[in-house]
Amino acid sequence: MPIKSYLAYPVRGRSDELAAALRRLSGCQVFAAVNRDVLVLVTDTPHEAADEALQGALADIPTMDALALVAGIGDAIIDSEATPAGAHQEGPHDPA
Amino acid sequence: MTRRDLLRSMAAAAAISAAEAMFPGILFGAAGSPGTGAAELTPSDGGVTWRKTPCRFCGVGCGLLVGVSNDRAVAVKGDPASPVNRGLCCVKGYHSVMALYGKDRLTRAMVRKDGKLVPVPMKEALDLIASKMAETIKAHGKDAVAMYGSGQWTIPDGYVASKLMKGAIGTNNLEANARLCMASAVTGFMTSFGLDEPMGCYDDIDHADVFVLWGNNMAEMHPVLFSRLLERRLKNPAVKIIDLATRWTRTSMAADRSILFKPQTDLAIANAICHEIIRTDAVHEVFVRDHVSFHEGKTHIGYGLEDKFTFKDEPKTIDLARYRELLADYSVEKVEALSGVPARELRYLASLYADPKKKVMSLWCMGFNQHTRGTWINNLVYNIHLLVGKIATPGNSPFSLTGQPSACGTVREVGTLTQRLPHGDVTEEKARKLAAEIWGVPVERIAAKPTYHTVEMFRAVDRGDIRFLWIQVTNPMVTMPKLRRYRDGLRKDDRFIVVSDVYPTPTTDVADVILPSAFWIEREGMWGNSERRTQHFERMLPPPGEAMSDTWQMIEVARRLGFEKLFPWSEATHIQEIWKEYRRFQAGPEHEMAPYEELRRRPGVMWPFVNGKETKWRYNGQYDPAAKAPFDFYGKSDHRAWIWFRPYEAPPEVPDAQYPFWLNTGRVLEHWHTGSLTRRIPVLHQAVPAAYVEVHPNDARRLNIVNGGRVRLTSRRGTLILPAQIDGRARPPEGQVFVPFFDESYLINELTLDAFCPISGQPDYKKCAVRLERA
Amino acid sequence: MDRSRYFLIGLAVLLMAALVAVVGQSLTAGREPARVMPVVAAPTPTLPTEAGMYARASRAAEYASMPTEPNRRRTLAVYYARRAYPGAPPAIPHPVDEREAFGKACLSCHGSGGWAPRFEAYAPVTPHPEMMSCRQCHVPLTPGGEGRARGPEAVRGSVSDWQTFAPPRLHGSAMPGSPPPIPHALQMRENCRACHAGPGAVSGLRTTHPERVTCRQCHALAAPPAEAFARAPERASR
Repeated sequence: MPIKSYLAYPVRGRSDELAAALRRLSGCQVFAAVNRDVLVLVTDTPHEAADEALQGALADIPTMDALALVAGIGDAIIDSEATPAGAHQEGPHDPA
Repeated sequence: MTRRDLLRSMAAAAAISAAEAMFPGILFGAAGSPGTGAAELTPSDGGVTWRKTPCRFCGVGCGLLVGVSNDRAVAVKGDPASPVNRGLCCVKGYHSVMALYGKDRLTRAMVRKDGKLVPVPMKEALDLIASKMAETIKAHGKDAVAMYGSGQWTIPDGYVASKLMKGAIGTNNLEANARLCMASAVTGFMTSFGLDEPMGCYDDIDHADVFVLWGNNMAEMHPVLFSRLLERRLKNPAVKIIDLATRWTRTSMAADRSILFKPQTDLAIANAICHEIIRTDAVHEVFVRDHVSFHEGKTHIGYGLEDKFTFKDEPKTIDLARYRELLADYSVEKVEALSGVPARELRYLASLYADPKKKVMSLWCMGFNQHTRGTWINNLVYNIHLLVGKIATPGNSPFSLTGQPSACGTVREVGTLTQRLPHGDVTEEKARKLAAEIWGVPVERIAAKPTYHTVEMFRAVDRGDIRFLWIQVTNPMVTMPKLRRYRDGLRKDDRFIVVSDVYPTPTTDVADVILPSAFWIEREGMWGNSERRTQHFERMLPPPGEAMSDTWQMIEVARRLGFEKLFPWSEATHIQEIWKEYRRFQAGPEHEMAPYEELRRRPGVMWPFVNGKETKWRYNGQYDPAAKAPFDFYGKSDHRAWIWFRPYEAPPEVPDAQYPFWLNTGRVLEHWHTGSLTRRIPVLHQAVPAAYVEVHPNDARRLNIVNGGRVRLTSRRGTLILPAQIDGRARPPEGQVFVPFFDESYLINELTLDAFCPISGQPDYKKCAVRLERA
Repeated sequence: MDRSRYFLIGLAVLLMAALVAVVGQSLTAGREPARVMPVVAAPTPTLPTEAGMYARASRAAEYASMPTEPNRRRTLAVYYARRAYPGAPPAIPHPVDEREAFGKACLSCHGSGGWAPRFEAYAPVTPHPEMMSCRQCHVPLTPGGEGRARGPEAVRGSVSDWQTFAPPRLHGSAMPGSPPPIPHALQMRENCRACHAGPGAVSGLRTTHPERVTCRQCHALAAPPAEAFARAPERASR
């Protein structure tokens, strides 16, 4: 499932290091919260095998405490023309 | 936006909504773009740590805080805790860390094979250096090897060099580029006071009423200190800054009074001021009676133009009456004719020094030191202060400014000069015994006779008396006066030249072995600035490639030469151990240095550091525990300061019909020395991208030279074509030109003369004769 | 037996005297002045200085009604392009007369700002006009003669591997609607109005409320977190 989004929780106090480490991985986009130690991670990989490799890389990051999967969009949906139900067209960085 | 982009946004939005549900009020910043090569570094509240260091550049010794993130230096702040600069820097300081990242940084050792430099493993290069050194010593004697270091050497660098050359090998062939910048200041101190380095400190700036700048462009060369002068004047409008110089500069612009004099006549002007002080009965009788003695030396002492030139002074004790007689030729009227300074200006200067209500600080640097009578002119400015008793008290301060970050700390205090040991001179048995004891070597091994000062050392290489030369942290192939002879000399067959540096330079171009050096904060070290302040910096970054600190390079070679026992320290703690050993040399209230832990903790500690307190004013019983009287010049056997009568003597080469212009050389604010560092800092390079020759508008008009036009400069030693600068930031008087030496494409030292002060050995870069023509 | 009584009294007096002497000696020995090793106090963390905070505050009310530059060319990108790293002294983007290196020449435009017809822009205001030696830190981006400012390469350079950190992020309020903290050091930038208010302000940084002059009443310095406040443990007895 090539496009996924997660909430990443860093080890206490090491949020910036985690953000830097995640950004170094290819296929990762990071949105850091400015007033909480939480990051949004969006991954985009070309196929399943690459995604699994990326999972392995994510597991190796020492500054990450926990990673929670929020949404996943699989190959089938990406390749088909249908838009998933409930999609909205805002940009990814609207504050609450 | 592609379909894929839209889906990514949706995934991100879902995650953000989840976060918002869990953490009310959460806010997200902008995204970091995926897959950018360089890690995005975070601003100061995140992964940047700030660590203290003295600045890499001039002798002011500003305290900096370097921002380090992910093993890179990323920013600079002035250290507000440093009493030197109180948080302010200059453009070089603010961009100093950028010098770490030039693309042609040396990272591998290189050896010249069949004329070409090829990279080799560091170990191989070090083996080769050691074997060549041993071979040369065996074939030609220990005085056939030499080392040439730098006032940008850290204190441990200098200490290891001294121990290796003087304690292990047993030769006095150890010199440093500070011979070319501070030697006359040193001999000035030694002849007038018996001990080196200023008796005052930068705090004098906060007390002085008058600042007299003698032949130094302080606004460009010691800018942060000059800002302190300006701040003092801003808060106290009665404070005066007088600029006494041979050309009009930014300093003249800022000064209250700019007085121009003819080159070399500073000698006469200083004597005229003394003459006037005596004539107007402004001598501080009690001070002179109790704390001063009078002396004269030889005159017509030569200029060192011949190889193996030697000079020995013949001091004679005289008295005030005789001193007055000797000054008879220096009335203000006579000196006006000689110097071009109107008599009333000379009287004005004398009145400033004479006024008992005014505290006077005299400041000087290269105008005095790079002078064929450099020792004399240093003596003369002290004479003025001694006659009126304005010395060693807050605000009354003849202050010799230093050019390099550690000319004081390393070259002068550790003594990396042919005649010095870490404490005392090689000629003193007591000093040799102390060194032998601390170093653990037989006292007979330490040579008792100095060999060569820098100019003579390079002459020796040229003649073949020296066959092996190791150059560290300096660029003599740009800075030696009368450059051609010395460049040709080093290039001769059967001369083995080793160069340790961080970037390729004209000096690495003549090297047989190049060693890549760790630069500044890539290794731990200490430097000592103009005001006797030793400042520590830790290793903040890893050096690139195989770069190794200069200290460790020398230790590795020393061990290969069989001297492991003298250099036993581990890499982890060697700097601390070296400091501990070096401190032993300076023990005592006259020179005690602070312990390692204090240096680490504080933004620098001044010496003497006695019982936890810095001695700010030496020789003054109120501040100096080593002084046993209200004023005690304990450097001299009579516990007095020595006034030396020194006459005016002309320079060896003056303008004549064939070469009618004076050539003056120096620096600009933006560039440090030969530019090997600052030209690789883009901001600084493109602020002043190339050298030029400053020409007075009238001369330009006469010779049909336009601003930016090509000018041919010719001296008896060489010729150069440079672009002209007319009415730039500085303006030489008619009949003089000025060329900065930071640009290796314009080797101005091919035109200069290797005449030097016979007492100090320091060459005069400020005066020789050239011809100008439009090219 | 008087003699033995006197003898006993004398002995007692002697013993008393000895007692006083011995006790006195041991008391004063206990009070010998100790050798004090002077301790240099660890520097206390300092608050940023307040000097210059109110400069030009009297005109602040007018800032709200002043025109801003129509094209808004002084953007954050331009602002950072002139600096080798956030916080560095900016390079001078316009040609300068070499004779004008000190105070008055530069301050005539950069002291209070104003419209400069030559450059068709509002002059940015310096937050530190008390520093008189301008050219000590600010060098031209255009060496004498050329009229065009060069781009970020001139400052950061392509002959150098220089990298630096990202400029401070905007926003960062603790709660929605809170005054955002100050994300940069205040050394030599105590006067907020110089960059954040007035026609010469950096667009993107302009404050919505220039008439409020005591900025640091609401906006605090976003410093690295200090040690959390904790009360000292209570003493067992009072």
